[in-house]
Amino acid sequence: MTYIVFLFLVGLVLGLIAVASNPSPYFAALGLVVVAGMGCGVLVGHGGSFLSLVLFLIYLGGMLVVFAYSAALAAEPYPETWGSRPVAFYMMVYLLGVVLVGWALWGGWYEGSWVSSDEMFEFSVVRGDVGGVAVMYSSGGGLLVIGAWVLLLTLFVVLELTRGLSRGALRAV
Amino acid sequence: MTPVHFTFSSTFILGLTGLAFHRTHLLSALLCLEGMMLSLFVALSLWSLQFNVTNFSAAPMLLLAFSACEAGAGLALLVATARTHGTDHLQSLSLLQC
Amino acid sequence: MNPYILATLLFGLGLGTTITFASSHWLLAWMGLEINTLAILPLMARHHHPRAVEATTKYFLTQATAAATILFASTTNAWLTGQWDILQMAHPIPTNMVLLSLALKIGLAPMHSWLPEVLQGLDLTTGLILSTWQKLAPFALLLQIQPNTSILIFLGLTSTLVGGWGGLNQTQLRKILAYSSIAHLGWMLLILQFAPSLTLLALLMYIIMTSSLFLIFKLNQATNINTLATSWAKSPMLASIAPLLLLSLGGLPPLSGFMPKWLILQELTKQDLPLAATFAALTALLSLYFYLRLSYTMALTLSPNSPTGTTPWRLPHLQTTMPMTIFTALSLFMLPLTPATIVLLTF
Repeated sequence: MTYIVFLFLVGLVLGLIAVASNPSPYFAALGLVVVAGMGCGVLVGHGGSFLSLVLFLIYLGGMLVVFAYSAALAAEPYPETWGSRPVAFYMMVYLLGVVLVGWALWGGWYEGSWVSSDEMFEFSVVRGDVGGVAVMYSSGGGLLVIGAWVLLLTLFVVLELTRGLSRGALRAV
Repeated sequence: MTPVHFTFSSTFILGLTGLAFHRTHLLSALLCLEGMMLSLFVALSLWSLQFNVTNFSAAPMLLLAFSACEAGAGLALLVATARTHGTDHLQSLSLLQC
Repeated sequence: MNPYILATLLFGLGLGTTITFASSHWLLAWMGLEINTLAILPLMARHHHPRAVEATTKYFLTQATAAATILFASTTNAWLTGQWDILQMAHPIPTNMVLLSLALKIGLAPMHSWLPEVLQGLDLTTGLILSTWQKLAPFALLLQIQPNTSILIFLGLTSTLVGGWGGLNQTQLRKILAYSSIAHLGWMLLILQFAPSLTLLALLMYIIMTSSLFLIFKLNQATNINTLATSWAKSPMLASIAPLLLLSLGGLPPLSGFMPKWLILQELTKQDLPLAATFAALTALLSLYFYLRLSYTMALTLSPNSPTGTTPWRLPHLQTTMPMTIFTALSLFMLPLTPATIVLLTF
């Protein structure tokens, strides 16, 4: 299990490098999907099955929307992939940077730091993260209200920002 | 510093670097922002899992809700910029400098 | 904009700042900052003009980056020390990271370049909200952390310098106001570690003075220096008061803008930092130069004009002038109230 979690961690970093090295948005969105998948793996490896489910179903669903947006708005005739020269250069630079920093910090990693702490789950009815999320319905109700309210606020924000077809000077779309 | 800590720190800083230095498209910047938020989600969940503070597991969910709001507002701004400027290249956002 | 939506957004602005004020946990503070940012976006892009939309986009990108970095720093702090409390942030690396991201959020000097552009794209009312109300929540956090003093002084001195220097070459009033905001924030940061009540005092005085200036410019519908030259025709009384207001913003003695600068310089000297105090006082001269230029075009010259152009004072104003009156009076005559203000703000 430790090795699989380690592979997921490496994949997380590689996915972010793929996003950050400035490819075209299609490919950056693809990199983000990879990052989300790897993050799910890391969370499952640490015993957070519910949070990883949330990440997989909800976040990847949201990412698909972003992907559709990118395909609609940023369509380019010659998109930059990870193979094209500047993007590949930045990827190499970032990879080198991460490896160097990790190498410098290697001495501080001790043996036990690889073990994911997921203790006593045999004794409990629900996993810890399910219980923790369920707290939002009891004593964390205020936070739930704030979250719901900010989602409502965002609805108004998005509607107000995207309206205004009849107003303003230049209209390209 | 554990390997997990190193991983999410490096992913966040990579996202921040991408947002700061590479900005051909507005959408790329928003995707970098999303990557930062994603690494924060992983960081918060792993904190509550590793330190066995299960009550804190609600925090990553709230973070996800807020980052969804942020992504929504960012995409709305993408639409608005594409309407007013005709493109989503960040280089064309140069009306205000003088 | 629909008044219900406007009310919702203004409520969101208030709620975000209140949540950040009331929070002791970093996650909640971050939530307040996010609500604040989200709620002001439609107000900024209200006219859907290309400039307004561009300013909104730039504001969103900087604020979202700063907020994410704040949360990242507090998460790092929690991983290193196991502590989420704002007041108990002990580790130096996350603390300084929070300081830098808050500096990006309010626009301090090395991270300031978004502020003049964003302010230039907004109308004066939203600009007023942006340069007063939106600074409160980050300042509430700044007052609670204990960052490195030398970084604070560096940020403060560069801000006062850039705020003075950048405004010298501007003819646009909103950009000048943005640079004056940068300079004043630099003064507040200089004293943050030594006497937080003086930071609050300087913030209060800055908010009062800049509000009155924004409201006067709004009454005159002035967005550059040219328009100011005919402001005597619109409202002669304001044209004679506004130069005093500008000098108060520059910090000249009998006016109330002198109060924070005086006390901050005195405190810096007491803390054995005469070099920083001298440098800050000298950079204030740069700001004073462009305030004086504004006063000069506003009240000391008469530009050639046709007779019909000089009679707008006959027309009644539609704007409510009560807030402007209060803010102007406060920013001119508050110097004798210095002891009472300090007692009020000491905690």
